[in-house]
Amino acid sequence: MADLKYVGTSVLRKDAVDKVTGAAEFIDDRFLGPLLYVKMKKSTIPHGKIKKLDVSKAQAHPGVKIVMTGKDYPNKIGLYLVDRDFVAVDKVRFIGEPVAIVAATSERAALEAVELIDVEYDELPGVFDPREGMKPGSPLVHDDLEAYERVPIFYPVPGTNISNHFKLRKGDVEKGFAEADLVIERDYYVPQMQHVPIETHKAAAHWSPGGKLTVWSTAQSPNVVRQLLAKAFGLPMHNIRVISSYIGGGFGCKAGASIEGLAIPIAIKFPGYVVKIVFNREEDMQGTFMRQGLYSNLKTGVRNDGRITALEYKMVWDGGAYTEYGVNIVRAAGYSSTGAYDIPNVKTDSYCVYTNNSIGGPVRGFGMCEMQWGIERQIEAIAKELNMDPLEVRLLNGMKEGSTSAAGQVVHHVAYDKCLQVVADKIGWGKKEGKFRGKGIAGLVKCPAQPSNAASSAIIRINEDGSAHVMIGATEMGQGMLTAISQIAAEGLNIPLEKIDIKVPDTDFTPYEWQSVGSRVTYTCGTAVKRAAEDALGQIYTVASNLLEVPKGDLTFDGKMIYSTKDKNIKATIREVTDSCKKCTGEGIAGPIIGRGSFVPTNMTNLDPETGQGNPGLFYCFGATAVEVEVDPETGVITVLQLASSIDAGKAINPQLCHVQLHGGAIMGLSTALYEEVKFDKGVMLNRNFTDYKIAAIDNTPHLDSFIIETPEVNGPYGARGIGEQPMIGVAPAIANAVCDALDIDVNTFPLTPERVWQAIKAKQ
Amino acid sequence: MLSYDYVKCSDLKQAFDALKANEHAFPLAGGTDLMVGMRGGKFVPRLLVDIKGLEELKVLKEDSAGITIGSAVTLNQIALFEPVVKNAAPLAAGAHSVGSYPIRNRATLAGNLCNASPAADTAAPLYSLGAIINLVGPDQQRSMPIEEFFLGPGKTALQKGELVHSILIPKPYPAGKGVYIKASRTGSVDLSTVGVAVQNWGGKVRIAVGAVAPTPVRALAVEKAVNEGGEKDWARAAKQVHDDISPITDLRGSREYRYHIAEVLVRRGLEQTMGV
Amino acid sequence: MTKKVTINFTVNGDRETREAVVGQTLLKFIREDLHLTGTKEGCEIGECGACTVLLDGKPVNSCLVLAVELEGKELVTIEGLSKNGELDKLQHAFIDKFAFQCGYCTPGMIMASKALLDRNPNPTDEDINEALSGNLCRCGAYQEIREAIKASAKQ
Repeated sequence: MADLKYVGTSVLRKDAVDKVTGAAEFIDDRFLGPLLYVKMKKSTIPHGKIKKLDVSKAQAHPGVKIVMTGKDYPNKIGLYLVDRDFVAVDKVRFIGEPVAIVAATSERAALEAVELIDVEYDELPGVFDPREGMKPGSPLVHDDLEAYERVPIFYPVPGTNISNHFKLRKGDVEKGFAEADLVIERDYYVPQMQHVPIETHKAAAHWSPGGKLTVWSTAQSPNVVRQLLAKAFGLPMHNIRVISSYIGGGFGCKAGASIEGLAIPIAIKFPGYVVKIVFNREEDMQGTFMRQGLYSNLKTGVRNDGRITALEYKMVWDGGAYTEYGVNIVRAAGYSSTGAYDIPNVKTDSYCVYTNNSIGGPVRGFGMCEMQWGIERQIEAIAKELNMDPLEVRLLNGMKEGSTSAAGQVVHHVAYDKCLQVVADKIGWGKKEGKFRGKGIAGLVKCPAQPSNAASSAIIRINEDGSAHVMIGATEMGQGMLTAISQIAAEGLNIPLEKIDIKVPDTDFTPYEWQSVGSRVTYTCGTAVKRAAEDALGQIYTVASNLLEVPKGDLTFDGKMIYSTKDKNIKATIREVTDSCKKCTGEGIAGPIIGRGSFVPTNMTNLDPETGQGNPGLFYCFGATAVEVEVDPETGVITVLQLASSIDAGKAINPQLCHVQLHGGAIMGLSTALYEEVKFDKGVMLNRNFTDYKIAAIDNTPHLDSFIIETPEVNGPYGARGIGEQPMIGVAPAIANAVCDALDIDVNTFPLTPERVWQAIKAKQ
Repeated sequence: MLSYDYVKCSDLKQAFDALKANEHAFPLAGGTDLMVGMRGGKFVPRLLVDIKGLEELKVLKEDSAGITIGSAVTLNQIALFEPVVKNAAPLAAGAHSVGSYPIRNRATLAGNLCNASPAADTAAPLYSLGAIINLVGPDQQRSMPIEEFFLGPGKTALQKGELVHSILIPKPYPAGKGVYIKASRTGSVDLSTVGVAVQNWGGKVRIAVGAVAPTPVRALAVEKAVNEGGEKDWARAAKQVHDDISPITDLRGSREYRYHIAEVLVRRGLEQTMGV
Repeated sequence: MTKKVTINFTVNGDRETREAVVGQTLLKFIREDLHLTGTKEGCEIGECGACTVLLDGKPVNSCLVLAVELEGKELVTIEGLSKNGELDKLQHAFIDKFAFQCGYCTPGMIMASKALLDRNPNPTDEDINEALSGNLCRCGAYQEIREAIKASAKQ
């Protein structure tokens, strides 16, 4: 792998000129045609039966084409557990849930009509705390949970609000505690957060009388949208076309299917119209996936030398009103429940619990930020109790080559120690710089949380002039996929990067991709593209061999010409080979070259239902974050002075894109660590806009350092693994550890708002 | 989203006529609060009366009376106006801490005051500077100290059909340092959790606190302790602020934290302006 | 009835006369009437900066300006920054420094940066922070944005 030409260089982004000129098309820039505007009548109560729903006045309002209610959307939708109503049927389960949908010829008419809809409810007692919700006798958010269709790796508890109970039993936890010199037990809490991409959720649908449905969507995963809509609306897949654009930030909230379905029955009733639904900021905050809250309890057994012997981890997740996607976050956190550490004896119970809060779902980290907050704070508590250096405790217990994960999977190509050491060195670990200053470090690990058969595919078409189109189903939401995948294609084909064209997906033309989630695209889609490139190149050699009458093994390609390695004068241009090649006699040899590649994991297994043991990880990506802070001991205001972050990328396909990803994750992590918390009062979301829900701005951004470690992932393309989510995971615990170091205080939750730090200071006094 | 009309005024009379003609007429200057309120349904105007083109409202000057700030002057203009920076430092800091740079290119001081949020970042500074609000109506002009202008959250002394004409920072200017210190959740673009203006008036202090009561309030108990009681222990003086304020708990902070932070900021303000 | 007002203005150097609906925001007018879709909507309340444009050379949140207020003014959007297909040096700097990810906040970010450089050709980090604190980037490209602005200033 010594002579890579394209992989491993920081080539400039493929989407760069589009994005700095305003020419980059996002979804809302391309809805064309006569429009119908969709607006929702939303539930104003968290839980209740719909007693009366009168849409007659709205239906009669000028400009209104139709008003739809739950009965127009008879089927539920869900990725892993089919539990979600498009529009409430008979009962509402959270404030903001759609109860009726208006489509009108102007946005204003639609908004006015929404106000004319008359709804009355019989309010039911609500569930607002999952710890209460999981108790016997709690009001039920879903009455017929056991009847819901589900992927069989999830375990709902019938007659309760528990939509998944994930169990993990590794080793013998009682024996492990018996071996311990010290047992530490602590509670932690991580509140809900919102992704708040600057682009909200948007979609549109168009039905042609011939029976073809076209959907435009901000979806991260057009193929999953197609799959779920086909099922929910009983349409054949080839008659649904899902078109993607550049996506204005995803972070998980645009994974699975979101708002597309609302427009579809309307589109079918009004062929020729583009039925458009755009969520405003408040609707986006309230009505789309948010990070689930987590209440957890950790009990850790440790020997006096710092070695952890046992862990008991109980997680209770606030799944919200629907957990169609959330059940898998609960599972992923469960099977990863030792974090970046090798712990021999583990007992984990992870519960997904329905509440009448907004819908939980995937967010960057997919449960790892929440779960590893507890792990990394717990390590700190251990170090303090044993009077050891927290870095030393991490290095001692950290996973190494051949360690086993919580699920018992043997982990390879691990350089967690290097990740920790490099960031510790950067911030001057061990040196106290001032009275109110502190340093903190946290590790992290994540594997893609995907089903064991989640697949990718790629097609590469070679043009007559030797340039190429790379066709894939992954989406570009800022991570730089278009660029990195092009580099892999260029490397595999050995043709210059500028001769590669790549586009965002259109399911009618681009091949299958499961989802652009889980930091998996570089690995999975990248592998498919590499295979497609090899396939295309193989075809080029086959054709050239026939044309030049040279054995395939004696041919080489330099990006322009195919030569015989024996005689440089025997050669053909790529143009000759690719332009429906023929012999001098005029007999054809071969048609256009189309390379294909696909990928499905072969190293993953289902997990044992009782012990959670098996191979859930496609690959394991480790990293670390270290920070130095200064805290104002009177106001509680934290200033992050420096932040260093590292990741073991295996092989950085584009180093600069990796650094930018490390920085972006650091900022998002810092923002959640210091500012972000969705606040609910009995199901009422109190902060639904950027005035009340603050995220980090440029003046909250400290100097960031980033380090890329490259321990090759042997099965990844050119040794690469995905790194998109990981840089966020260690940030909150690293900051908290630093703050606690600065003032010798204790915290078990975040964000570390000035007020919360002040309370922690008071608690100590 | 009701439909409404718009009139761009070229003199004050036109503005008053328009405001009188329509019961639901709203004056429009920077519009940065008005448009947010219109979107959220807080304001439902039928007529927008655009006054920001009026030359007499665009006045920003210093003369023998002091500094006059017309109601169409933007916060960025104020924050950079040399006489304000030199003689009314709390106002320069307060104006600078409202919103973001682009917001301050539109937002006006008069608008910040008329919105009448107890957390308005320009209000406490004006209290500390003894500012005068000049109002103008179709029939009369009147002036009042800033303290009489604020009546409650969203409520001012402005009467129907009246406009804020200008704000005066009167001479003589305070002989001494002044500061505005703001506590917020992020330290970036954010509303204040508590804002404190402290102005040294030749050895006497004048202090105002925002976001701790239905209106910005003077810290009279602290002022009394310092100005009359001769208290030189700023920490002890600052404790008196608890008697001056009545904060509530909201998304930005609890009542308890606001009491605490108001005391800290008042003490720091005293230290910074009155000498350690 | 939807009331309309005739307005005269300059957009990206071209003089225009259009009708604008009273109550329509400048943001909607730019996107839906002028079809300049580079300017983005993110919050509609002036908190995110995605809709930043230059009005008489000053950056403003176009969601907080009425279209009718455009009368007699000079409007520059992201589309007006490149001339005859030639990118502005600031745009080149954003590309070279990888100063964006998803690109949705980028037009607003670049317009606010452009305005900063116009009034302050050699901004410090602090100047940049102050000028751009109203432009949110959820992907977190802030450090790269600072580098891009400084690189552009040096040229």
